[in-house]
Amino acid sequence: MFKNIFFFSLIFTALVFTGCHEELLFPEPPSNITTANFYKTAKDIDMGVIAIYGRLQYRKARVQSMENSDLTFMELPGDNMYKGTWARHYEHVDEWNCLPTSTGMDYMWTQSYSGIFYANSVLENIDNPVNYVAGEKEKYLGEAKFMRALFYFDLVRLYGGVPRIDKTVSIADSRKVGRAPEADIYNLIVEDLKAAVDNLPAQNTPGRASKGAAVALLAKVYVYLKDWSNAKIYFEKLFSEFNFELLPDVTNILKTEDNKELIFVVKYVDGTYGQFLSKEGLPYQGIFKVLKDGGNWCPSWDLLKRFDPEDTRKEAAITEMWKSYATKEADEPIWNPWINKWFVPERMNVATTVGCELDIPVLRLGDMILLYAETLYELNQTGPALVQLNRIRERAFNGSTHNYSDSDIPNKEAWLEKLHLERRFELCFEGERWFDLVRSGLYLNLHEYETYNDGQGVILKRKLDPKPWKKYFPIPQSEIDQYDPGVLVQNEGYD
Amino acid sequence: MKKKQDKGDFMNNILKTMRVMRICLFLSVISTSLVFSASTYSQSTKLTLNLNDVTVKEVIQTIEDQSEFIFFYQDQQIDLTRRVSIRANDKNIEEVLNKLFEGTKNIYAISDRQVVVGLSRRQAEEALASLKRITGPLENLELQQKSISGSVTDSNGLPLPGVSVIVKGTSIGTVTGADGKFLLFIPVTAEILQFSFVGMYTQEVVIEGQTTFSIVMEEETIGLDEVVAIGYGTMRRSSVTGAISRVENITLDQVPISSVGKSLQGRLAGVHISNPNNSPGQPAHIIIRGRGSISAGNDPLVVVDGFAGGSLEQLSMHDIESIEVLKDAAAAAIYGSRGSGGVIIVTTRKGKTGAPQLNFNAYAGYSIPFMYDDWAGPDEWIYWQTKNMNRWFANDGYDPSIPIFGDPRRPLAYQVNPALAEGPWSNWAEKITRLAPMQNYNLSARGGTDNVQYYVSGTYNHEEGSLLTEYYKSYTFRANIDVKVRENIKLAALLNPSFYDRREAGHSMHDLYRHPPFVSSEQNPDGSWPQGRDYWAYSTMSSASPLDRLYNTEYFRNGFSNLGELSLSYEPIKGLILKSSVSTNISFAQQDNWSGVQKLTFDGSAVDSRGINLLNENILTYHKTLKDVHEFNGLLGASYQKSTSRSNQVVAIRNSFANDIIHTVNNAQAHATSSSSSKSLWGLVSYFGRINYGYKEKYLLSASYRTDGSSRFGKDNKWGVFPALAGAWRISEEGFWQLSAINELRLRASYGVTGNMSIGNFAALGNMGTFYYTPDDVLTAGMVQTSFENRDLSWETTHSYDYGILLGLLDNRLLLNFDYYIKKTTNLLYTVSVPTITGFSSALDNIGEIENKGFEIELTTKNLTGKFTWNTSFNMARNKNQVIDLGGIPERIATNEMIYWLLRPGEPMFSYYGYKIVGIFMNSGDLEKYPKLSVNKVGDPIFQDTNKDGEITPDDRVVLGNYHPDYTMGMVNDFTWKRFDLNITMQASLGGEIQHMIQHYQMGRDNGGIRLSVVKNQFWSEDDPGDGKTPSLCRTRYQIYNYSDWYLANASFLAIRNINLGYTLPIFISQKVGINNLRIYTSITNPLVITSKEFDGVNPEGMSRYDPDSAYPGIDRGSVPLTTNISLGVNVTF
Repeated sequence: MFKNIFFFSLIFTALVFTGCHEELLFPEPPSNITTANFYKTAKDIDMGVIAIYGRLQYRKARVQSMENSDLTFMELPGDNMYKGTWARHYEHVDEWNCLPTSTGMDYMWTQSYSGIFYANSVLENIDNPVNYVAGEKEKYLGEAKFMRALFYFDLVRLYGGVPRIDKTVSIADSRKVGRAPEADIYNLIVEDLKAAVDNLPAQNTPGRASKGAAVALLAKVYVYLKDWSNAKIYFEKLFSEFNFELLPDVTNILKTEDNKELIFVVKYVDGTYGQFLSKEGLPYQGIFKVLKDGGNWCPSWDLLKRFDPEDTRKEAAITEMWKSYATKEADEPIWNPWINKWFVPERMNVATTVGCELDIPVLRLGDMILLYAETLYELNQTGPALVQLNRIRERAFNGSTHNYSDSDIPNKEAWLEKLHLERRFELCFEGERWFDLVRSGLYLNLHEYETYNDGQGVILKRKLDPKPWKKYFPIPQSEIDQYDPGVLVQNEGYD
Repeated sequence: MKKKQDKGDFMNNILKTMRVMRICLFLSVISTSLVFSASTYSQSTKLTLNLNDVTVKEVIQTIEDQSEFIFFYQDQQIDLTRRVSIRANDKNIEEVLNKLFEGTKNIYAISDRQVVVGLSRRQAEEALASLKRITGPLENLELQQKSISGSVTDSNGLPLPGVSVIVKGTSIGTVTGADGKFLLFIPVTAEILQFSFVGMYTQEVVIEGQTTFSIVMEEETIGLDEVVAIGYGTMRRSSVTGAISRVENITLDQVPISSVGKSLQGRLAGVHISNPNNSPGQPAHIIIRGRGSISAGNDPLVVVDGFAGGSLEQLSMHDIESIEVLKDAAAAAIYGSRGSGGVIIVTTRKGKTGAPQLNFNAYAGYSIPFMYDDWAGPDEWIYWQTKNMNRWFANDGYDPSIPIFGDPRRPLAYQVNPALAEGPWSNWAEKITRLAPMQNYNLSARGGTDNVQYYVSGTYNHEEGSLLTEYYKSYTFRANIDVKVRENIKLAALLNPSFYDRREAGHSMHDLYRHPPFVSSEQNPDGSWPQGRDYWAYSTMSSASPLDRLYNTEYFRNGFSNLGELSLSYEPIKGLILKSSVSTNISFAQQDNWSGVQKLTFDGSAVDSRGINLLNENILTYHKTLKDVHEFNGLLGASYQKSTSRSNQVVAIRNSFANDIIHTVNNAQAHATSSSSSKSLWGLVSYFGRINYGYKEKYLLSASYRTDGSSRFGKDNKWGVFPALAGAWRISEEGFWQLSAINELRLRASYGVTGNMSIGNFAALGNMGTFYYTPDDVLTAGMVQTSFENRDLSWETTHSYDYGILLGLLDNRLLLNFDYYIKKTTNLLYTVSVPTITGFSSALDNIGEIENKGFEIELTTKNLTGKFTWNTSFNMARNKNQVIDLGGIPERIATNEMIYWLLRPGEPMFSYYGYKIVGIFMNSGDLEKYPKLSVNKVGDPIFQDTNKDGEITPDDRVVLGNYHPDYTMGMVNDFTWKRFDLNITMQASLGGEIQHMIQHYQMGRDNGGIRLSVVKNQFWSEDDPGDGKTPSLCRTRYQIYNYSDWYLANASFLAIRNINLGYTLPIFISQKVGINNLRIYTSITNPLVITSKEFDGVNPEGMSRYDPDSAYPGIDRGSVPLTTNISLGVNVTF
């Protein structure tokens, strides 16, 4: 009996204590990097910065079918582009009928704040590493601040004042952060960009921000703030200290990469990390020999008919005749205008579901010169302003034949009309039009614009119902639902 | 009150029976050959035989038929197939037998009517000695005793070994041998024989001079004496204190469904088993007593032969003996941090002492999919599509009187080409489905000696999917071996390798259904498939033929798994058993994907994953009865479990395949960022104990305790504690109980704590993940934080209260079990939506409380006994789910852009939430009259202006229903008449809602197919307003109906899940062909499914796209149709 008990106790004790608690309860994650062991080296910080750009790359046009992309919110509501019959969703954006619950209303919000979070994570940990080489830390700091400013600039233009988050925030606290006044957001943007200007290197890897990019963005921000004198300072800094040049051939600006006119671009490569923008402006039935399907975002007749026939930008932006993928070699093309601005056949993949490698510019010199012209005019330097405007026209018409003279611009009204028309021609389908309409107030006069029927040449009208409050998009309801009641206030008109 | 022996006698009897069993098995199975002094029968009986070239077996049979002789022998000791010729005219038995066994090693002996045949004299002597011990001194034998013999079979005519045969009121008895026969010496004064067997009704037979008995035992469908698995042990049903449901596999393995879970539908009270995906090989979805967890899953823990963390789907139903479900925390708390969802205990078939029994079961049949029958034909389609386009045209501000075709004023996109009706016509729903064959074979052998018992089995199953290209094949093997090494040392080993091979369609039904019907389904000569645009330039967006998609999407899945276990039990002192086991559940899974639809977009990938789950358990049990009235069962245990997994995947860069001959990724370029390899693991350390105490089987108490440490939880919160307490009072055992009609009345109450640890392995850590960018066109990895660190993250805790009554009437002919429970789950592992300014859209936290309460009724009745028997087992459960608290947050809303799901205290979890439709804008006057959305037009639904502020805003959203059924019911009816048996299983669910979006795609959207019932009542125009209740579901206006109750339907249903009709051939026929038992049967699943009128789908439990247990439940965007499976089967025992 006692022998048995002894024997049993021995076995039991042995079995109970063979289990190794530490190994079972505190295993090292074999494949997970965690916050506990990251952001320790310069390389870690670099990876953090890469991700910020990655978020912008994703937001801009990496989602197939343009259901979600920058242009959906920055170009579609304007009068340059409209949703064709077969384009999916977003008629509410096209027709200015957004509701807080409408499809995709949260897209720009969540994508931008995600990018801001990545930037905040980098900035909070930037002092950890001790192995930076000279200038490296400053570069990362400048990049993170530049990108944060860029995300906020988009947010404030789309929604007005938004929650001001400049460091990572806990879940509990986040539910209590309301919207900051628009001015506060702009203050943060200016502050960040000034730091970026101070810290960014003059040259950076293509696709990453350089000092020139920060200067250009800051100048543009001052234009939106109507702080014309500061805008002038930074435009002139941009033109004098950096080597950006207008490309002589206007059709090459977007269709070639890394050219001298581009100040800051988002890089794409063929495949998963490609963009869908190039394909979405094509007719739904594709392009003969190139692409089977398109996204059916259409150029408006309103824009097309205003182009001077000699304006080279027309050919660079819109092609009027079209042959679908399914047609035969012998079939005649038909009149059905489509957006050609991003169309580079040799960079396309025939499958609609594969992204295109063409880069998407965020800041380019053509835009800067027109903004500079605007700035000069506002500072009453009408002569120099006209010179800048004509620089853009000269390039477009391959000479000075179509230059404006003083007599063309008797007053400010005429100036603004000419300036914004020029911006339409120069920057159509680049995501400037909606913001230009809003900041100029022109959107209030936009009761309708002309579209046309797919493939039949019949002109139609798109009716709009302009209201002052429509300058902002609604705050997404899905976001409001996550805050403590009453904290995140809806924009006027949507509540 | 039912008469019962008192406790002491009962136990003594059990012990005696045990002993008797062992000796008699020895007697009748291991050995034979007895010599008793000649008895009168054998000498007086004369035999006349004239047999030419027959087998020994046939000779023996002939003798048995001709006389009262009964033969005892062991199959392997006699060559039964030897052919002999015997002629005897009026000879006595000895002469016949001498001739029969001439030249063999066999030695026979005769005692009265019993003939025993064996191999040696020694066996006979040992047997004789044993016999003496049972029946007393040999010298008294002839004076006081007589011998009786007989055979016992079950209701199917199968011999029943191990039945105890006892002279009532004495300790004289024996058990039947492997062939179901027995031989017993009884006092001449004996009056009544009692036959008893676990799971069978005890039978009493008056002896009255009879010497041979032929007994048919009936299965006790409702027994209190059956043994129930309770987790780390078993217990008599009569002593159980927790809420446990049990189902035994009698004909479950003949239901023509390969999923173990699905074949249990309707059979267990409070266990809601649904079939959300009817593709072959897809598992059932099981919820026990409601959902208590928002994000961490509600799947029950599956314990297979003691291994916690198995899966029902790796088993073959053929190998399952019984399934127990531990429903209340008192029962499940012994599984601690994994018990919250309830525990399903599977016991597989084990070996049995006795001659080998070979069983073969096979069925084959077809599955017939449920289909819609109201698709528009060519002319109807043109008619309705024209209306559709005109309505849409008008809605967009144009003049619908412009001709529908060929007028340049009407954009092509708004035109309908009437010539389409002249072309080919395809009913795509029919083209993509089929009558699908299925077959299933199982072969098993079971037997053993006193020291070694075995059960080995193999199953092959092959089902084609009713959706084209889908199939499922599985190969399941099992070997269960029990070895008695010493009297007190036992070793058990089990192996369960299984392999499956499956092809999935890879496309959801709604995408296939919606194809234009004017497109031919005939393949072009060049191998391509006709597309919409070949017929109509402005055709749909989804242009590839459904057949093109199905045939050119190759999603192959296969997997291998093996659950292996070796355990050693050692009994150093009587009643004290130490059992130590090591088990592994190893699984490998592979996915091979390739698609090349339209020969345009080529994708491919290969994913290999493996998981190894290692478990060591050490359990000490002690059983002791004091003074015959105090019964103790104690248990102490320690368990260590570690699960590791690894996954490798290689993904081809889209369109990088060199050609479409080879579909593996070696024929393409690997995608750098999608191709990866990763590992993960979790560990669990547990200590547990339990004590059961019973006083005279009247007062029963049970207490258990478990503590679990888990790697998954935050480092400041590693250990959880899970206690439970339960008690029962069998009032009917009290002396004062006088109501004889009520033979069993028991009250139960229990409380316990269980947990849920189903979160990601390292979810408590702040994890980083890669996020790429391409500076300078070089793909470069970036890193971002992908989850919050939560050092306090811990298990969900469920507190359960259960109160039960068990009532047995008329000698348990009617057994009623009622349970009322309250289950409160706190510290929910909840993926809360968070403001995205945090950088995340969601985060995991322990927040809030969910309550499930309800009742369950199980009623089993023996309606008819005798020649025609009818047993019914009915179950019903009511569960009410309610969110109690969300960590102080007033509500949370989730959405998938079709409906909102609401979490709000006081409402069921994930209630559907949105706008309530109160009418239709019938004319422009209505548009002025009622509050509306700015986008509303005539024909749109009017949303309820809940807060009466004159506007439709998100504040007007209301709770629209929920997907939890209020009542679930099941009923199983078993009938037998002569050799026929019939089983009918029904299931019903009442009160849940389903969001059946599928109609969305059945009204001509994108020029797709049109169902007449979907379009006929719609609002078409002010002059053609339909039934006034159905809004204008115009193409561009679908979105308006999202977030409303338009697509919500009552998901209640009543289904006959299975009918199984069998016929067992009479033994005298089947034995002629050397078969002990032969049953042929036909089985039909889902012969009838009745749904609510408003539900318009093909499976009221169907879910598409989303995991039914995810945060977005209840959506049916076209689930795989239910099928009626008709099969014919045969079950043979040799």
